[in-house]
Amino acid sequence: MSLLPWYIAGPLIGLIVPLLLILREKQLGVSSSFRYAGSFVLPKLSYFNYKKAKDAWQVQFSLGILVAAVVFYSFDLVVDPEIDASLDYGLSALEIYSLDNWWIFLFGGLVIGFGSRYADGCTAGHCIMGNSLFAGSSFVTTLGFFAGGLFVSHVVFPLIYSP
Amino acid sequence: MKFLITLSLGFLFGAVLISSQVFHWYRIQEMFHFDSFHMFGVLGSAIATAAISIGLIKRYKLKSIAGNSIKPQAKKRKPFGNILGGLLFGIGWGLTGACTAPIIILLGLKWKIGLLLIAGALCGTLIFAIIKPKLPE
Repeated sequence: MSLLPWYIAGPLIGLIVPLLLILREKQLGVSSSFRYAGSFVLPKLSYFNYKKAKDAWQVQFSLGILVAAVVFYSFDLVVDPEIDASLDYGLSALEIYSLDNWWIFLFGGLVIGFGSRYADGCTAGHCIMGNSLFAGSSFVTTLGFFAGGLFVSHVVFPLIYSP
Repeated sequence: MKFLITLSLGFLFGAVLISSQVFHWYRIQEMFHFDSFHMFGVLGSAIATAAISIGLIKRYKLKSIAGNSIKPQAKKRKPFGNILGGLLFGIGWGLTGACTAPIIILLGLKWKIGLLLIAGALCGTLIFAIIKPKLPE
């Protein structure tokens, strides 16, 4: 299999939104599954003392994502992008998933977890779902996502990482 | 049945994110360097498709299969949370080349990297829950 072009991938992702609404009465989102998981670790915190049941479906949805990844991996269906190593970030991309870079993924994961809770959603819940509702909160948050990503990609990453 | 529907939709989401390489660090860097239209095309057409679908649901007052009316709600505005949380999330997205769904995908494709990401994200979630009372909304 080759790269699924954007004009097929995007509409397919977009269609998940009405399917979830019609079949499950749920709004697309993924990151609340971390709130659900956290509520089992520190159940006494007020943030975790909530109606957990409303987020349980996101854990099932995430499980579906994981099953997809395991199936693609098992049947060798994953096609990595063709990397242009003449670009600085292309050269970095070649070895980025090496375990030497554990600190990038641990710290990055931490700010993703913190940021998505503080912003009340991630790329799925804000960027796709929220923007499709023309929600002001989601538009502002999406701007934040891009500002943070641009800053780190252009300024921070070249300083802290050399391929 | 509900479980199977949710699982299948998650499977579809994951399969598309893998096939379109959205989960890969290189694609995210390419996006933040404006070197390829691919990611903008994926995100833009996903939002457009979702928006049109919701418009049709409202226009024709479609009901869910359980027979209830469908009223999707915008998330509440939280100026500090939306801006600062958004910035922090974006920093993580740029660093790791993954947002939340791709974190789960990496758990399946490159499980050691995925475990680091999930451990980090869970810690971040716990830290947020601990200091939330002191954070401005």
